[in-house]
Amino acid sequence: MHPLLVSRARLGTYLLGWVPIALLLAGIARRQGWTWLEAMSLALPLCLLGALLFLGTWYLCRAMPLQNTADGLATQSAVWGTAALLMGGLWAGLAWLLARVLAWLPGLGALPQRVQLALPVITGLGILLYLASVALSYLLLAQARALEAERKGAELQLLAQESELKALRAQLNPHFLFNSLNSLSALTAVDPVRAREMCVLLSEFLRRSLGLGERRLVALREELDLARAYLAIEQIRFGSRLRLDLQVDPATEPALLPTLLLQPLVENAIKHGIAALPEGGTLVLTTELVEGHVILRVENPRDPDAPTPQGLGLGLRHVRQRLLGRFGSRARFEATSLEETHRVTLVFPLETEP
Amino acid sequence: MRALIIDDEDLARAVVRQHLEAHPDVTVAAECANGFEALKAAAQHQPDLIFLDIQMPKLDGFEVLELLEAEGKRPAVIFVTAYDQHALRAFEAHAVDYLLKPFAKERFDAALAKARLLVTAQPPVPPPPAAELAAAARQGRPLERLVVKDGPKVTVIHLDRLDWVQAQDDYVLLRTEGRNILKQQTLASLETQLDPARFIRIHRSYILNLDRLVRVEQDTKEHRDAVLRDGTRLPVSRAGYQRLRELWEDA
Repeated sequence: MHPLLVSRARLGTYLLGWVPIALLLAGIARRQGWTWLEAMSLALPLCLLGALLFLGTWYLCRAMPLQNTADGLATQSAVWGTAALLMGGLWAGLAWLLARVLAWLPGLGALPQRVQLALPVITGLGILLYLASVALSYLLLAQARALEAERKGAELQLLAQESELKALRAQLNPHFLFNSLNSLSALTAVDPVRAREMCVLLSEFLRRSLGLGERRLVALREELDLARAYLAIEQIRFGSRLRLDLQVDPATEPALLPTLLLQPLVENAIKHGIAALPEGGTLVLTTELVEGHVILRVENPRDPDAPTPQGLGLGLRHVRQRLLGRFGSRARFEATSLEETHRVTLVFPLETEP
Repeated sequence: MRALIIDDEDLARAVVRQHLEAHPDVTVAAECANGFEALKAAAQHQPDLIFLDIQMPKLDGFEVLELLEAEGKRPAVIFVTAYDQHALRAFEAHAVDYLLKPFAKERFDAALAKARLLVTAQPPVPPPPAAELAAAARQGRPLERLVVKDGPKVTVIHLDRLDWVQAQDDYVLLRTEGRNILKQQTLASLETQLDPARFIRIHRSYILNLDRLVRVEQDTKEHRDAVLRDGTRLPVSRAGYQRLRELWEDA
């Protein structure tokens, strides 16, 4: 479909664009001694005809996309040159026919003769107008392509985000699960009461993480509950090696954030922090509310002998991307690796369920 | 049989211990919560069999095995791990058994029976080299760090701290953070373990960490030197120069 014909408004704008051209044409005619009546009677219908005639250029342009090679450009220039000559001639012919018809009207008897004299000028103007319409058509095509590309890009990005999120939801850390089940299998013999407790914790963790996966946004409270269930299990597994320091400001609990944003932070802190140290350490999780923003911090000790991580791992990259995807420049993500501690800080505006 | 249980989690060690109660011929000589304890206990107790977790702090299971091997001790080993099972399938070809956490009594007994056969076999079955097992478990991923035992001291060298390596007969000289450390391994075998995008064999006797390279200087027509960040100059052979150029052209 021609982009100028998809709506009345567009066609109207296009036709309006021809008004100055008609006025220009009439002005030129006036200078040649035409009367206003003669000039306007010819210029207005002629420009209307031209407007409709040149609409066809777009189809030709679409069939002949602009080429980048010198050869292609030369061929196309030749084609457009020939077409412009033909169309300029055709337009002049139309002017001539129009003059013949209009001559029947009173006061316009001299029109055919005047047009006859002006034919070269009309042809020249026609050629220029035709070339302008070629340029306009290519512009419209390029714009349409850019819009299409942008739309497709946005669609793809959305799709990618969706699939990433799905992958995240599906990603129940198998290493964690199997190790927990192994701890459970040890406890059944030595401490049945704790074994049962572990079963309950594990079920709670699974139920929560499956439930959370179905939503895009959750309250921080729910993320914290999930993290607490997870950490309680890890505490059974790691025993005295894992010490917890949780400081949660209740005012931050209703804050909405993308689902499963906290979990990867906590899992990382265990995997790269506590589990990598023979004597373990303290995992610090704090939330506070400062000037309408939630500051969420997860801190863990790290092995000073291990090299400082270069850049972010996949898990943290996802967290950052999803945080910034939701809040844009109103949020901040920071990962700092010091000699003996690793800290991740999320700052985002406090938004709650209406 | 004397056995060691090596795992950083108390409860994981407890599971193995519980299963061993049904096998009075096996005595648990020691339980170790990390690789360093394991090396000490192995020196003290000379175990016939070790139950070995793979993912542990500081030294992983493969590194523990490699260090034991370097001391000429090579007990039978049963890996006990929640590690990726696809990676461990490669072990079956190496007559090494593994238990995936959590495991059933039958599976444990079968692994133990297999280990018993290995320990008592006449003639003794040579165990597969630890480096080979580690490489199989890495599934093509390059090595991240090296472990070297020098007397009672164990050094872990993370590969981004390794500047270059020089061949010295059956040893390699590892240059890291201003120190030279000797490790018993050939340069060719080390080369296969390293990431070819980061470590280049620039000479018959040298492997270079590409990150340390500043420029290559040509002295005479046939003689080139690699100049490193700290000013060190290492010889670059013609083949080595070719390899460097291929890398630059790909980049």
